[in-house]
Amino acid sequence: MSAETSTSSSGRDGLGDTGRRRALALFRRTGILAALIILVIVSSFLNDRFLSVPNLLNVLRQVSIVGILAVGMTFVILTKGIDLSMGSILGVSVVLFAGILDTQSMAVAIPLGILAAMGLGLVNGIGVAYAGIPPFIMTLGMLSFARGLAFIYTGGTPIPILNEAFYDLGNSYTFGVPNPTLILLGTLLVSGFVLTQTPFGRSVYAIGSNEEAARLSGVPVGIYKTIVYVISGGVAGISGLVYASQLSVGTPIAGQAYELDAIAAVVVGGTSLFGGKGSVTGTLIGTLIIGVLANILNMTGVDPFVQQLFKGALIVVAVFIMARSSKT
Amino acid sequence: MTDILLRATGLTKSFGQNVVLSDVDLVVGRGQVHAIVGENGAGKSTLIKILGGVHRADGGSLALDGREVVLNSPQAALENGIVVIHQELSLAPHLSTVENIFLGHFLHNALGMLDHRRMRKRTAELLQRLSIEIDPEIPVGRLSIAQQQMIEIAKAISVEAKILILDEPTAVLDANRVDTLFELIQRLKEQGIAVIFISHHLEEIFRIADSVTVLRDGTKTGSSSVSEIDQEWLVSRMIGRQFATHTSKKRQFGAVALELEALSSNGAFEQVSLKVREGEIVGLAGLIGAGRTEVAQAIFGVRPHSSGTMRLYGETVRLSGPRAATRRGIAYVSEDRKAFGLLPNRPVRENMTIANLPRFQSFGLLRLGRERDFVRKQIKHLDIRLPGMNVEITTLSGGNQQKALLGRALALQPRVLLFDEPTRGVDVGAKREIYRFIEGLAEEGTAIVVISSEMEEVIRLSDRIIVMRSGRVAADIPRADASEETIMRAASLN
Repeated sequence: MSAETSTSSSGRDGLGDTGRRRALALFRRTGILAALIILVIVSSFLNDRFLSVPNLLNVLRQVSIVGILAVGMTFVILTKGIDLSMGSILGVSVVLFAGILDTQSMAVAIPLGILAAMGLGLVNGIGVAYAGIPPFIMTLGMLSFARGLAFIYTGGTPIPILNEAFYDLGNSYTFGVPNPTLILLGTLLVSGFVLTQTPFGRSVYAIGSNEEAARLSGVPVGIYKTIVYVISGGVAGISGLVYASQLSVGTPIAGQAYELDAIAAVVVGGTSLFGGKGSVTGTLIGTLIIGVLANILNMTGVDPFVQQLFKGALIVVAVFIMARSSKT
Repeated sequence: MTDILLRATGLTKSFGQNVVLSDVDLVVGRGQVHAIVGENGAGKSTLIKILGGVHRADGGSLALDGREVVLNSPQAALENGIVVIHQELSLAPHLSTVENIFLGHFLHNALGMLDHRRMRKRTAELLQRLSIEIDPEIPVGRLSIAQQQMIEIAKAISVEAKILILDEPTAVLDANRVDTLFELIQRLKEQGIAVIFISHHLEEIFRIADSVTVLRDGTKTGSSSVSEIDQEWLVSRMIGRQFATHTSKKRQFGAVALELEALSSNGAFEQVSLKVREGEIVGLAGLIGAGRTEVAQAIFGVRPHSSGTMRLYGETVRLSGPRAATRRGIAYVSEDRKAFGLLPNRPVRENMTIANLPRFQSFGLLRLGRERDFVRKQIKHLDIRLPGMNVEITTLSGGNQQKALLGRALALQPRVLLFDEPTRGVDVGAKREIYRFIEGLAEEGTAIVVISSEMEEVIRLSDRIIVMRSGRVAADIPRADASEETIMRAASLN
């Protein structure tokens, strides 16, 4: 016997209550956006060059690599998982791009690098979905394994990239927007579309919300969870593309600890580590908040060591405020 | 009964408008075993929770050893020597018996370090005193449930419990273990400990209890010394509730939709046979743990069957899982909404369509408009009260959550519906509505299996009632012969 009271009346006439709930929901959805806007306004007062187009484009370019990773990470976290191996998989793809470009064209190198990244993601997915290994452990293992692959492939020495067209990919502009930013936006749009408009995306939320209930509803939980890790692997490959191109060198240490920045962007963006709640739009905003903060701290000449403190505090405070506001 | 240990007078408790316990008296003597019996929902759990300090009674008083006590927390109950042992045991599985018994009050030596030697010695003495033969050093998680139960009892004794409340201790035990448990209870009695014993198995009352209190609908309907009564006496006081038999029109039954023939699943149920026709509602009655849910799980493909056959419309099938089952038109609404039903923090809309997304898609994309139309229609049809289809489902009341999950099953347009405890945690108004939907579905030709622990519910809904006991079909009762008495006899008596 639970303390169930009759609800026949409280549902419809509680309009005031509904209003308040709506306001809270609105705050929850716009809260992080409001935080970003406030941060931008404050920054514009701190430094008048902040709002200039070149600086803003600079911010967008700088956040691209982590932003792309964060979009992939969002899928995984929505299923209540985590992918700690994204930085290492990025590293594998970077050295592969460099190595293959040495003898082959871009048309060969890019698909191969991304496919390899997806393959590592597939291993993660099978381990999590079918072998029942906790995502934290599975991807922690992959973090080390994939990094090892990158070192073995290069023999420990960076491989220079001499391909001009490949260099342009990450360093030039299209319609006045940096290419990496366009790649970030593309990844984001496709991901947002998949999450909101397809049965797969809907199921990703359901799995994170209550995996058993999803399974009993006929959702192919194993297959979908596997796909989610293939996506995060593939996305790590895409951000590896940007990374390799921007630096023009295939270094085996590429992307080390980037997964942690991606996780930070996801949670600041309001996606719950307990699964089933969040969006890639939130992740973009989270990425931008972290990026803008770093930018303005740089511009105002804050000691880089101290900047770390700001970033750390931001993550904790953001999640604390969100946890508070979601307690209705 | 000269030496009264516990006397409860006029206990009353309500949750909101719902009175769950009304003016209940209880008298338990020192060294006595007192049984409390009653149907599900009769108020047994509430009574236990009041005695265990979990709930505070709205009215009435409690006296221990003639002294009035107020138990406003489990801690207070414990300090007064009242220990409740629940069905779900609360031992730390990775710790040994010794560590579990001393958990929370470890013995220290002069240096503040754990005094293993003294704790081991005290545990050995305790186990010997209760004649429990268990290696006290191995982690309790590796022991059987029966052994763990004994350790929990031993732990209670170690903190000087005066009253031990055992909530359906035999539900998880097989016959041999029950004997061992009863021997242990006998020894507790001899040491002057009072035992309050909850059980659905009436024959156990006559084996172990000295006195008994019967509850029905939150009131005491009888109390007696066991030697002066028989099973008739108990049964007549447990039931005897009058309720309107339902008036829905006689339904037409079609072809046999679902058929089980001697289906067995290792350790869960054996040789279960049943037939459900189109338009027929078959009730699965029985005590908790009788294997009813397991049968539903087997039909739905989440529990493999070890032998026997299952047929859907005459075709022998072996379903690989929920996906295969839903594709074949079987829908299952679980008894445990929270664990197996709700998608918390997702909108009601998504909760209602997750089982049949293919229906709301074309060319791989969700047709959100079609989805909204369906949900709107179902909300109206099922009369779900909610501020909007996009609120999180957990903000709804139990009844409305249940209706939404029924809506999820309906999205599948099922030919066979398995409904496990359709009205658990649902208020009275919604309950009646859910009954109507179930009957409406049957009228449209759906074959329905309703599992319920509420007699009234099974009788009201079912065209035929299959009573299970200890994993087997104990009786197959047509509607005309169904009464609480026939069901209760089949379910709880040998």
